Amino acid sequence: MANLLWLQGGACSGNTMSFLNAEEPSACDLVTDFGINILWHPSLGMELGAGLQALLRKCVSGEIPLDIFVFEGTVVNAPNGTGEWNRFAGRAMKAWVKDLSAAAGYVVAIGDCATWGGIPAMAPNPSESVGLQFLKRSHGGALGQRFRSKAGLPVINVPGCPAHPDWVTQILVAVASGRGDEITLDEFQRPKTFFTSFTQTGCTRNMHFAYKVSATEFGQRKGCLFYDLGCRGPMTHSPCNRILWNRQSSKTRAGMPCIGCTEPEFPFFDLNPGTVFKTQTVMGVPKDLPDGVEKNGYMKLTAAAKAASPAWAEEDIFVV
Amino acid sequence: MEEPESPDEHEPQRDQIAALVGSLETDWQRRADESERFRQVVRALRGVTLPEKLRIAGFTLHPVEHDGFEQACETCMYYLVHRRWCELPEIDLPVRAQWSCNVWRV
Repeated sequence: MANLLWLQGGACSGNTMSFLNAEEPSACDLVTDFGINILWHPSLGMELGAGLQALLRKCVSGEIPLDIFVFEGTVVNAPNGTGEWNRFAGRAMKAWVKDLSAAAGYVVAIGDCATWGGIPAMAPNPSESVGLQFLKRSHGGALGQRFRSKAGLPVINVPGCPAHPDWVTQILVAVASGRGDEITLDEFQRPKTFFTSFTQTGCTRNMHFAYKVSATEFGQRKGCLFYDLGCRGPMTHSPCNRILWNRQSSKTRAGMPCIGCTEPEFPFFDLNPGTVFKTQTVMGVPKDLPDGVEKNGYMKLTAAAKAASPAWAEEDIFVV
Repeated sequence: MEEPESPDEHEPQRDQIAALVGSLETDWQRRADESERFRQVVRALRGVTLPEKLRIAGFTLHPVEHDGFEQACETCMYYLVHRRWCELPEIDLPVRAQWSCNVWRV
């Protein structure tokens, strides 16, 4: 049996909603089949007030072994570094986060806010929000770059806005079943098993990407969303087109550009007017090119791809 | 089954556009290099007449060399190679591969 505690800081509960929609395994399966004992969760916990404070104190002291500490939302530091804007169970949440992380076997950050600050940490960041070990791309965050949980791992970052339920449950199952040491992390402490390939990997619009045929308006079923509508699929590390949402779709499959929500810079360009759902260009070339591609190569590829494009690439092939 | 339209059907319209471009003063040297300028041009293209559209977009009947690259319709992402058509919704016209305009993008 592995004890799991889930707390929320500066959060919208989106990751909780995602987690509660998990199917294989479901949140209930985690308890019944995988031996996870959910000590407390904001939407599931029964304890209130003094009872909850006592539970948290026992986790901190080690009286109740805390195997997995999950945190959702930012760590709020306002005002003036005190964290008093986010009080929870009698003290600043940031104090609980520090104490519980020190006591936990594994610490898992779920969603962009807990990993790198996400939307609350956008400039001017009035809540002085940070992620557990990052603020955007900068290492540090609430726990500091050198933090390691009792199992010897840094915070396991499962980003996304929200994170896919399978990413959450599979990491929790791995940890709870004693396979935590098999989780390999990338430079942003994301599990490589999910965050090495790109959102574009498995996208049904890849043919249109290859032949440089662009979608120019929402709702078009042909065309790639990268060239004009700001899709970040070729630069974003996520398995959204391999592990489908609701088992059947993804943003790009539904005609919605990827917004890059698993990357530390999300939301990109601080959501300035004209930057959302519009590819940013310099001299007619996208500012952000597909990962690893340089400008000259991109230009040559464009000319070759356009010249080679077949007629069907310009038609809607998803005929009803 | 509906037959796909032939690009040749629109040759008279291309000829008409070519004649108009030849007679217009277009601001073709002011390329929409930055996204903000691109948005301004696209906004200005909405709901205007054909000559105004050609003038605002800066149509030319030849590729434009800019930033070390030849900007021709045939490499622009809005160009449909087989239909020989500009698919930017605000332009939406039959064009030719060797033409160019200020909102060229790849």
